[in-house]
Amino acid sequence: MKRRDFVDIFLGGSLLATIAAFLYPVVRYVLPSRSAGGGVQNSVIAAKAGELPPNTAKVFKFGSAPGVLVNTAEGKLVALSGTCTHLTCTVRFDAETETLFCPCHNGRFDLGGNVLSGPPPRPLETYAVEVSGPDIIVSRKS
Amino acid sequence: MNKRAIRVFAAAALFAPLLAFGQKNSCVECHSQLDDELKAPAAALAADIHAEFGLSCKDCHGGDPSQDDVDLAKDRTFRGSPKRQDIPQFCGACHADAAAMRAFNPALRTDQLSQYWTSRHGLLLKAGDTKAAVCTDCHGVHGIQSAKYPKSLTFPWNIPQTCGRCHADKAFMEPYRLPTGQLEDYKASVHARALLEKKDLSAPACNDCHGNHGAFPPSVSSVASVCRQCHPSTGELFMKSPHKKAFDEMGAGECEACHGNHKILVPSTAMIGTDDGATCAQCHDKGSRGFEAAAEFRRQLDGFESGFRAAEGLLAQAKQKGVEVSDVEFKLQDVNTLLVSAKNLTHGLDGAEIAKAVSEGEKALVGVRELGEKALDEARFRRRGLAVTTALLALFGVALALKIRHMTRGRVDKSRRVE
Repeated sequence: MKRRDFVDIFLGGSLLATIAAFLYPVVRYVLPSRSAGGGVQNSVIAAKAGELPPNTAKVFKFGSAPGVLVNTAEGKLVALSGTCTHLTCTVRFDAETETLFCPCHNGRFDLGGNVLSGPPPRPLETYAVEVSGPDIIVSRKS
Repeated sequence: MNKRAIRVFAAAALFAPLLAFGQKNSCVECHSQLDDELKAPAAALAADIHAEFGLSCKDCHGGDPSQDDVDLAKDRTFRGSPKRQDIPQFCGACHADAAAMRAFNPALRTDQLSQYWTSRHGLLLKAGDTKAAVCTDCHGVHGIQSAKYPKSLTFPWNIPQTCGRCHADKAFMEPYRLPTGQLEDYKASVHARALLEKKDLSAPACNDCHGNHGAFPPSVSSVASVCRQCHPSTGELFMKSPHKKAFDEMGAGECEACHGNHKILVPSTAMIGTDDGATCAQCHDKGSRGFEAAAEFRRQLDGFESGFRAAEGLLAQAKQKGVEVSDVEFKLQDVNTLLVSAKNLTHGLDGAEIAKAVSEGEKALVGVRELGEKALDEARFRRRGLAVTTALLALFGVALALKIRHMTRGRVDKSRRVE
């Protein structure tokens, strides 16, 4: 191959690569992301409507941290941060007392996030809950 | 006494608005013109919680503040300043009277006086020791603020200093043969760090373990119950452990035996095991069953913790290199829960339980570590991709330069031929 042909082919290839580089972000933007996303996330689909029977709860991923979605015995949906404010263990729902407790040192919170007993120094952050069609959406309160 | 107190408070409540509009108070008028000690009550009264509720000098000291003449003002109701030994009863005249207090704050407790007489301070005062703390030593005299206000002597983060005014004073405490290092010890503790540095009002000050009006040092047998108020699961584990019986037999102070009392530091796995400084080795001799068990707990926890820290480091590296690792971080928090629980289980001394928690945690850690490695591989792949792209771009630059040179040369040859 002559040097001139090689340069022409290489320049043509580079032009195609440049076009691809322009198109790649467009394609990534149009197609949904494979991962749920990290960093600060302001809202998330925590569950499907009807997924939680009354007086049960589920832990969902909110950013990189856990959140807890509770469907109370009266059927009210409540969402809170799932990270205990003592030593960052993940809290669990106690259906018998309708409270959240930490399995590490038994810190206990009410469903408003307030500390009821144990060593946690601060309340749990509470989130806004909205049922939108088939989804239960949990968002940070601004 | 009740009827009198009710009458006093009813009158005070009724005339409170008049006070606000400048009802004559000859006590304040005169004392404002006096010096130092005699002026202080008048100056401080404005910020006093009693004044907030419309009470004035006469409600505690009696007298007639409407009179300008000193002799007339100090009428037969005038009580003046109480003697030190009479102060609890003086304050208690209202504060121990539920009916009287209801007019001001129905939720306010009225058992402070009865609790006080059971306290070490109250018992000493009753025995004639007038150096013993009375109400005014902790609450102040005039200018008493609500305990909810941060400048109050009894606001949580002021309490250590308030107690320390006597308890850290060597000369004052000398006759009682009590140590005076508690305040300094407390300031070095994890509790003080939370209360005084992080301003965490739920962290314990002196009164949370000793009581306030009924202040008394907790006895050896009740230390765990006191600590359990905030550390319930740890207390439950301890109560079921073989240490409970052994500590009772030795007369050791339960939680205090390992964690200390005023200078409670952040607990760590270094407290477990057989190294110098490990609390287990203080009682368990080399070769004993307890010694071996302590060494084993430490080995398991150290292994688990170092694995956890390594995984945490992997994720931090990957995150710093721009790889999305929130899924793995979410999984790591579950492992953190297992690690903290495993450490807490050491209070129960159940080897099987600890081994189970450690093994479950280490199993979960394997998955987290794999995902962390994968994230780092992705970062390496991206870096290689960047290197290849940079090389290709450089090559593109060279090719472009060659092409331009070739085209320019062709154009020059053509123009020469035309000439």
